[in-house]
Amino acid sequence: MQDAVLAMLAKEPSHGYDLRARLRRSLGPLGESMNPGQIYVTLTRLEKAGLIVSERASGLPERPERKVYALTPAGQERVAAWLTEVGWPKPDLAEFHLKLVVAAAARLADPVELVAAQRRELLRRLREAQHAALAEPEGSAAVLLLEGVVLRLQADLRWLEACERAWSPVSAVDDEAEDA
Amino acid sequence: MNALIGVRGLVKEHGEGRSRVRAVDAVDLEVPEGQTLAVMGPSGCGKSTLLHLLGGLERPTDGEVWLAGRRVDTLSERALARLRRRSVGFVFQAFHLMEELSAAENVELPALLAGRSRREARRRASLLLERVGLTGRARHLPSQLSGGQRQRVAIARALANDPLVVLADEPTGNLDTAATHDVLRIFEELRSAGQTLVIVTHDERVAATADRLVSMRDGMFVDDTRLAGTGTGWLGGLIGLDG
Amino acid sequence: MGSAVIVFRLVLADIRRHRAQAAMLLLAVTVATAAYALGLSLQGVSQALYQQTREATAGPDVVALAPDPGPAVAPTLTSLARAPEVVAHNGPYRIVYATLVAGDATSKVVVHGAANKPGAVDRPLVTSGRWVRSGGAVLERGFAAALGVRVGDRVTIEGRAYPVVGIAVTAATSIYPWAAQIGPGGGPSDPTGLAWLTRSDARALAAGNDLPVTTAMDLKLRDPDATQAFVDAHHHPTVRVTFHTWQFKAEQDAVMLRDSQPILVVGSWLLGFLAVTGVAALAAGRAGEQSRRAGLLKAVGAGPGLIAAVLLTEYLALALLAEALGLVLARLAEPAIASPTASRIGDVAGPAGATVVATTALAVAVAGLSTLRPTLRALRTATVTALGGAARRPRHHPLLTALSGLLPAPLLLGLRLTARRPGRAVLQACSTATTLIAVVALLAVHAQPAREYGLGSSALPNLRDVHDRRLLLAVTVLLIALAAVNTLALTWTTATEARVNMAVARTLGATPGQVCAGLSTAQLLPALLGAVAGVPLGVFVYWLFSAGETTAPPMSWMISAALAVLLATAALTALPARLAARRPVAPTLSAEAA
Repeated sequence: MQDAVLAMLAKEPSHGYDLRARLRRSLGPLGESMNPGQIYVTLTRLEKAGLIVSERASGLPERPERKVYALTPAGQERVAAWLTEVGWPKPDLAEFHLKLVVAAAARLADPVELVAAQRRELLRRLREAQHAALAEPEGSAAVLLLEGVVLRLQADLRWLEACERAWSPVSAVDDEAEDA
Repeated sequence: MNALIGVRGLVKEHGEGRSRVRAVDAVDLEVPEGQTLAVMGPSGCGKSTLLHLLGGLERPTDGEVWLAGRRVDTLSERALARLRRRSVGFVFQAFHLMEELSAAENVELPALLAGRSRREARRRASLLLERVGLTGRARHLPSQLSGGQRQRVAIARALANDPLVVLADEPTGNLDTAATHDVLRIFEELRSAGQTLVIVTHDERVAATADRLVSMRDGMFVDDTRLAGTGTGWLGGLIGLDG
Repeated sequence: MGSAVIVFRLVLADIRRHRAQAAMLLLAVTVATAAYALGLSLQGVSQALYQQTREATAGPDVVALAPDPGPAVAPTLTSLARAPEVVAHNGPYRIVYATLVAGDATSKVVVHGAANKPGAVDRPLVTSGRWVRSGGAVLERGFAAALGVRVGDRVTIEGRAYPVVGIAVTAATSIYPWAAQIGPGGGPSDPTGLAWLTRSDARALAAGNDLPVTTAMDLKLRDPDATQAFVDAHHHPTVRVTFHTWQFKAEQDAVMLRDSQPILVVGSWLLGFLAVTGVAALAAGRAGEQSRRAGLLKAVGAGPGLIAAVLLTEYLALALLAEALGLVLARLAEPAIASPTASRIGDVAGPAGATVVATTALAVAVAGLSTLRPTLRALRTATVTALGGAARRPRHHPLLTALSGLLPAPLLLGLRLTARRPGRAVLQACSTATTLIAVVALLAVHAQPAREYGLGSSALPNLRDVHDRRLLLAVTVLLIALAAVNTLALTWTTATEARVNMAVARTLGATPGQVCAGLSTAQLLPALLGAVAGVPLGVFVYWLFSAGETTAPPMSWMISAALAVLLATAALTALPARLAARRPVAPTLSAEAA
């Protein structure tokens, strides 16, 4: 997220307040939990790393703070590098998969039950994301982000369905029925 | 039963002899007024048949179906037709609009069938088309509308007689993402207006908008999850500036 | 060769799948071609019958009739027999005008005084019993048939009873009831039969009752075609002699069948029209399916020629088979229809080459007209669209739709169904109009004052009228049968096409009764228009083909006929509509979604 804040300064130097507003506009409901201080913590870190500089601005008496942040050449290089990066967040499915395997092997829990519980949780999350998306005003940039969240949850749910089928004892019953 | 929809020991068998299949197998269900219920399951699990049974389009092999305190499965064809006219609105995957009638005329049709005056039917149609955002398309034929618009016309038609319950069978099955959004937004509006809604779907995102989700497999309910009122605030936690 | 096999197998499979449709096509075309073939082959039939009778009975070329009594008559006739053109003669003989009673029936009769052994000219052919003998009478076959008299019965002529010893036919007189040739004193004649007595019995009959007598002479000419020249050359200044040539008698015979031909030809046009209507309805009902078939064939690489062959061959093959059946039927029915009189003998030749060509044209036209459009459409539709099964889009009719909004639910559904397929409505209207044309013509014929042959209260049937009425009735019954099949087919087609829409209407709360009534209404509305048009058209057609003054049938008859046709249409549509309306809704909607 530091990279995103850095890139936001590439267009023009900004106040911390503006940066936060722009972030919230782009993130929609996902940005709601960001507290006002968080952006300054990030900016301070970036300044310490020599990627941005700040200077006091004048002529804005109604604003409580006067600092305007701008990119340093190092910061500009970092932004260019970030844009060409193709890294992608890792899907973390291994843990749940192992949970099912271990639970079944050691008879700690019924894997089908685990899957069902996980499914309910994901469905609730999906509902939340879906409702958030529906609540967004027309043309909001955040809708696209929410769409991504929804699609990933959907993919996860389909994977859970596959897990359920695989761990379900029903398939054994089917085999018997075919033998009969 | 106090619920708007009540189902007890519902069984529906298709076919004869060896090819006899239990599409719905001893299902119990109660849907209180104002609830949005989603029924999910793989194709062939009996979810569409359940919907048809609820709307009186098919008669159960066994069990009872109640709607608004009235037993439905024993009604005569004529009484069933009256029930569908006044109390049930259907929405289908294939829209099933009458191709030769304009959008407004399609929406008017149920009102006319219910014996409302032409003027009243027209007034309601224009109101409903406005509600689904198609005021400008009232005179278009279904063939001149996109899939999403057609489904919105179909929803308006389902609402023509202020039904007690709207039964939707894969309402977004033929729609792209944007059109699905439009339809879901309308359902969301209906939900907040207190409309009882039963949606059969295999699309998780459609199911997730409901208050409650029932999962079906081989004609039986395998899961019944309450989704409403369990907000976790999880979305907000997704983003951390340092993440 | 390979493609011929493919076409054959595809066609065979399709016929097997749609047996009812194939049967209907067969029925419609068979009936139409049979009527058409009959109508065409009636031309010249009576001529042929007269010729055969003339040959079998050594019929005279000219009959000389002298109506006045007097001593000069016999020499005059004898001098005619000595004319150079004459090669043989019979007579002179008496023709006595008398009254005959047989059972309840009384009729005028002319009694010919006949030689015990007929000579070279005019040898009546005895078809049962034997020739005249003293005290016994021989009746002409047409007359005997009208009276219902057989050999061994007794008839009374001017108070004296004679046993009927024989029944015979002759070419010397016109057929019953025109056997008198000329009336007493040369005046006009009433419907009259013919009987033979021996010469002496005839003389006794005339003398004993003081009856009018005409003296006659049968003449055989050297050149049978030169009759007119003979007649012109032998005008007698003092003795009145009337000549009847054999050509005149042959023409007289044709009068009997004069009305039959238009009945059959116009009837066959109407039948053919109904056949086209019905088959077109079936073909249109299958248009969507045919498009899909064409698309499927295209997808596997069949060229347009092969596809057209597959689509057209089926109808063409069935139509030609039906044509063959129709010709056989015509051949079987022809003797009954072509010889309403028993006064002539002989066989009917059966449909000639020209008739076969004409009926083949009719059959091909039926098949072509009714399938060309769907076939062309199937060929033109893009493969992918065709496979998608998208049928022709129904058109939007805002006015009809708006109008239907004011009506109760069944009418509303019906009117909207009608608006959906205007072509089908036109077919139904035409079908109804055609039926009513025939029914009104039948009523008009029955409304004409009957001219019967008997005397006083006794009613001898007017053979020609009875024959015409029976024929018209048969044609009308066939038309009604075809129209009924058409109505069933049209309703079924409409019901099949509107299946999804009707299922949707059911989900919207229409009762099966309303859907059924709607489907019926969809046929009844155009049928109503057809009925309104059919009544005046029927009167017009009758007027067009009837000679002389006609009496219009009472308005009440025609209105009743129109109402009856409409009621029958309602009843006929109810059956398929009911079947369609009872169909469960859910599978229809699910199948459509898949």
